[in-house]
Amino acid sequence: MSRFSLPKLSPPLIALLLAVGLFFLGGLIRPGFVNATQAINIVRLAAFLGIIAAGQTLVILGGGEGIDLSIGAVVTLAAILAFRLNEGQNELVPLALAVALAAGAFIGLLNGLGVAFLKIPPLVMTLGMAGVVQGLILAITQGEMIGDTAPVMGRYISAPLVLGIPGVVFIWFILALLIWLLLERTTYGKQLFGIGVNRVTARLSGVRVPLVVLVTYTLSGLLAAFGGFMLLGFTQTVFMNLGGPYLFPSVAAVVVGGTALSGGKGSYWGTMAGALVLTLITSLLTAMQLPEAFRQMTLGAILLILISVYGRQRGLRQ
Amino acid sequence: MAKTNISLSAQHIVKRYGGVLALADGSLAVESGEVVALLGANGSGKSTLSKVITGVVAPNKGELLLDGQPVAFASPQAAQSLGITAVYQELSLIPDMTVAENIWLGHQPMKWRLVVDKQEMLAKTGELLDLFAGTVQASLQPEVPVSALPPDERQIVEILKALSLDPRLIILDEATASLDSRQVGRLFDLVGDWQEQGKAIIFVSHRMEEIFRVADRAVVLRNGRSVGSTSIGETGEQELVNMMVGEATVVPRQLTHDPVAAGAAVRLKLEEISAETLHGVSLSVRDGELLGIGGLQGQGQTDLLRAIFGDIPFTGEMTLSGDVVHFGHPRQAMARDVALVPGDRGSEGLLLIRSILENLQLPSWQRYGFPLEMEAARADAGRVADDLRLVRSSLDAPARSLSGGNAQKVVIGKWLLRAPRLLLLNDPTKGVDVHTKREFYNLLAELRREGTAILFYSSDDEELLGLCDRVLVMLDGRISAELSGDNLTHAQLVATSMSTGRAEAQDHS
Amino acid sequence: MNERFQLKYVSLRQPYLFALLLMVVAALVNLVLQPNLLELRVLNGNLRSFLPLMIVTAGQAIVIMGSGIDLSVGAMVSLVTAVLVTQMSLDASAGQILLVILLACGVGMAAGGLNGFGVAWLRLPPIVTTYATSFIFSGLALWILPRPGGNMPETFARWYRQATPLGIPLGIWVAAVLVLLWYLLRKTKYGSYLFAVGGKPDAAYATAVPVTRVLFSTYVIAGLMSAFAALALTLGTSSGDPRIGAAMTLDSIVAVVLGGTRLSGGQGGVAGSILGVIILGLIRNIISFANVPSWYQTLVDALIILIALAGPGLVQLIRRRRVA
Repeated sequence: MSRFSLPKLSPPLIALLLAVGLFFLGGLIRPGFVNATQAINIVRLAAFLGIIAAGQTLVILGGGEGIDLSIGAVVTLAAILAFRLNEGQNELVPLALAVALAAGAFIGLLNGLGVAFLKIPPLVMTLGMAGVVQGLILAITQGEMIGDTAPVMGRYISAPLVLGIPGVVFIWFILALLIWLLLERTTYGKQLFGIGVNRVTARLSGVRVPLVVLVTYTLSGLLAAFGGFMLLGFTQTVFMNLGGPYLFPSVAAVVVGGTALSGGKGSYWGTMAGALVLTLITSLLTAMQLPEAFRQMTLGAILLILISVYGRQRGLRQ
Repeated sequence: MAKTNISLSAQHIVKRYGGVLALADGSLAVESGEVVALLGANGSGKSTLSKVITGVVAPNKGELLLDGQPVAFASPQAAQSLGITAVYQELSLIPDMTVAENIWLGHQPMKWRLVVDKQEMLAKTGELLDLFAGTVQASLQPEVPVSALPPDERQIVEILKALSLDPRLIILDEATASLDSRQVGRLFDLVGDWQEQGKAIIFVSHRMEEIFRVADRAVVLRNGRSVGSTSIGETGEQELVNMMVGEATVVPRQLTHDPVAAGAAVRLKLEEISAETLHGVSLSVRDGELLGIGGLQGQGQTDLLRAIFGDIPFTGEMTLSGDVVHFGHPRQAMARDVALVPGDRGSEGLLLIRSILENLQLPSWQRYGFPLEMEAARADAGRVADDLRLVRSSLDAPARSLSGGNAQKVVIGKWLLRAPRLLLLNDPTKGVDVHTKREFYNLLAELRREGTAILFYSSDDEELLGLCDRVLVMLDGRISAELSGDNLTHAQLVATSMSTGRAEAQDHS
Repeated sequence: MNERFQLKYVSLRQPYLFALLLMVVAALVNLVLQPNLLELRVLNGNLRSFLPLMIVTAGQAIVIMGSGIDLSVGAMVSLVTAVLVTQMSLDASAGQILLVILLACGVGMAAGGLNGFGVAWLRLPPIVTTYATSFIFSGLALWILPRPGGNMPETFARWYRQATPLGIPLGIWVAAVLVLLWYLLRKTKYGSYLFAVGGKPDAAYATAVPVTRVLFSTYVIAGLMSAFAALALTLGTSSGDPRIGAAMTLDSIVAVVLGGTRLSGGQGGVAGSILGVIILGLIRNIISFANVPSWYQTLVDALIILIALAGPGLVQLIRRRRVA
């Protein structure tokens, strides 16, 4: 698929090395950048992107031009719902979480139905759904962000918990293990890789392709909602475009991590490394005091270069 | 129309695809006003020779002489510009474009050098369509989208498309397959006209009576070699068949096969199975039986197997192990212990970039619980890989790292893991080396002894003859003959693969 | 067989007929809710607000007919807006105005060229490629024009806002020109190449169609159209907003689908796509005049878009169920 294959190192490892390299590059640009606190901070920021990009990883792994462009909106919706429902009380947090997750899963389910059964291209379906979710947000909030963040959320998510490392990092790693389990130790995971590589072979081996697709988009919505909930613990407030800035990086993180855009090969570890890389790039660009405009251009250019290296399709001349 | 002049001579063409020798020594010559038929059994190399002549593939050795001058075509367009065109089976039509647009794509008549002259294009298309007037429905008009046409009319559009280039040499490669008898008749009238115009025609076909109707000479290929070129008037069907098949040797049976146990149960029974490419197929297979399906490629064999497996819809009755069933998805067939080894292992049988282990267990992960017991999965996979003598570095190596024979073992292995009671094989030894084939035959014998019912389509006639007691020959979606006992000879196999002595009339609804 | 065939024939050759019907229905509903809809001033204003999207959609339609898609059209509009507004001075002479317009077209075509290079030459997947370039373009736009502002020559803008040549709103003229250009294009060899490449690229290649060049050109055209749309936008509002383009991307795709063009390519037309824009605009008018509470308007709008996108799929599903 790629013209030349990079040396024996697996893409997630390359991404990890790249992240480390960028970290020390930051030290060159900004003396004092390289220290434990900064490292923890980077990982903490990357955790949110990483959690949000988990669903995107699954969708892309499933192939069929899979992509989920509704993730940003779902993150925002989940955060707003949780914000409103927990009303600053610890006892209501489980309820808030449950509702947020259910909302995300439902949106994902609708995406899955459209893609798997109505054969709507994933791009179009999730883009359209993103608009619906944004409309839903306006309708629900009517412009007013009512609610409060329960203290327990802040304490266990973004405040330093153990050895100065905040809870979200631990949660991230637990999630990573669960996703690894899902991808490598369940029938669903094996079938997901199967449909990502070759849907004909999968079907002829008994895989119910539409069902796997449906489950995948539902999970994507669920995980995005979870990410939104986590994000709330960090920002302690909600606003209209809370999740938007995470959409593009979620796709980029998956690509940086070496997961093929055509599907069938990849891992969540790669996405995690990708999240680190992207967070570092953003931090560096901020440290260099470059305007947001430049950040956007850089991100776009990086993704473009990555696809050129990793993701070319077959030519017409065979 | 002015008379053209052309002579083409392909001499001792050699063509290799990777490790497979498709053409060892192919030669053919044709001149203005001649119709040369190109004949050969499966794997004879005739389609490769035709591709060399039209510039689709480049030969490794040998010479192509056009009008006495050596030529080498860099692309099909190069051959086209020199007046050589081929008509295949509707490969190059754009479904949503009209008949006229398809015929003239790339060489439309132009107005003011910028705009397509639609009037002219439609008029010329009308003229071309008139050539087949009376043999097609009135609805075949220049402005009809090709996707709305039935297969026979689409084939006619392909023919007209080639004709619109005003070629000097036309190759009709199995171009009559979708046509009914009236259309074939009209086509042959046109061929006569073309001959008078000085065009040369190469007619690749497996239909004997058509060859004898239209051709002047016949060139026969066998095993990649030209074995004879005779004038049609001086030969007969039987002689041609003999040339395609070789001396009437007794093909040694590959294995001693025990006859089917008396009283073995009927595992599968099909009655009047019909689908888009199947027209009323009926058969039955018993436990421990190895039923062969033969015939030339593309006669419905693959679709028959797919229908049984639940991959395509069909009508008709299917009885499995005594119960009437109708599978709508391969999963359902698998649940009833049916397995299908598909024809194109690269695109249908394997997940090339995934590991051997994952390929072997793809249909069966549900058995290993949650979380998946990888040790057990590995052990089972390893056992079947050893049984099949799969040469591998590790079960975690990607499937694409395996050679053809070993890759095919993986495809078979993944079904053997499930101990199927009915095994459907779709040309499983295509592109597999001799040694692996032998191992495979032993495997089949063992499965038979264990009582597995096997339905086995092969494009290798020798294989069918050596392994099977009974062979059903398919032609145009029907079973044209059932060969067994004394009837099961190579000559008979080839003869019944072609529409020998039977007027084929396809009906239109 | 004959009736099915006729319906299919019609739906392929005149895909916009259904869209025309939709438009008439939407217009009637709109008329009921807003009786002065057909008043010249109101009509002119409406059409003028649809104009940029119409132009962008024409470009998107061409890309989609070639079986591609362009997620960066909105960003290209933003980019050219930024260029126009920063390069144009309030008292520019006619010659200078022309020069800036030419520059804008150049920028649009270069941006489209980047897309085309990636998709046609490098064989990168269109969705992610144009998604990535959209960030490059919008970032560039933001860099050139960090805050909304800038200026357009007043006389030019005034003419644009008030022009009704021969009593017909400018919007209709532009739409007519676009449709006319499309009809001409369709009659050239290029038109047949476009449908061939979009319909079945392998078959097109086998028939000596220059597939790569055709694909490349569709993206360049989209870029050029985005440039013209930006011109219409800045003239209409007399200033530039670097973030204006974002919503246009999805809208252009929806309009193309509403107009009867399939996302898989190979058929369709610009006429239908322009009708799609008008339908979308009328629907939005209806929503605002139907006293839908303002906080629900976005939701209703998005739901309608989703239904429009799901439409073809639903029809296919029903057809498939019926056959089985």
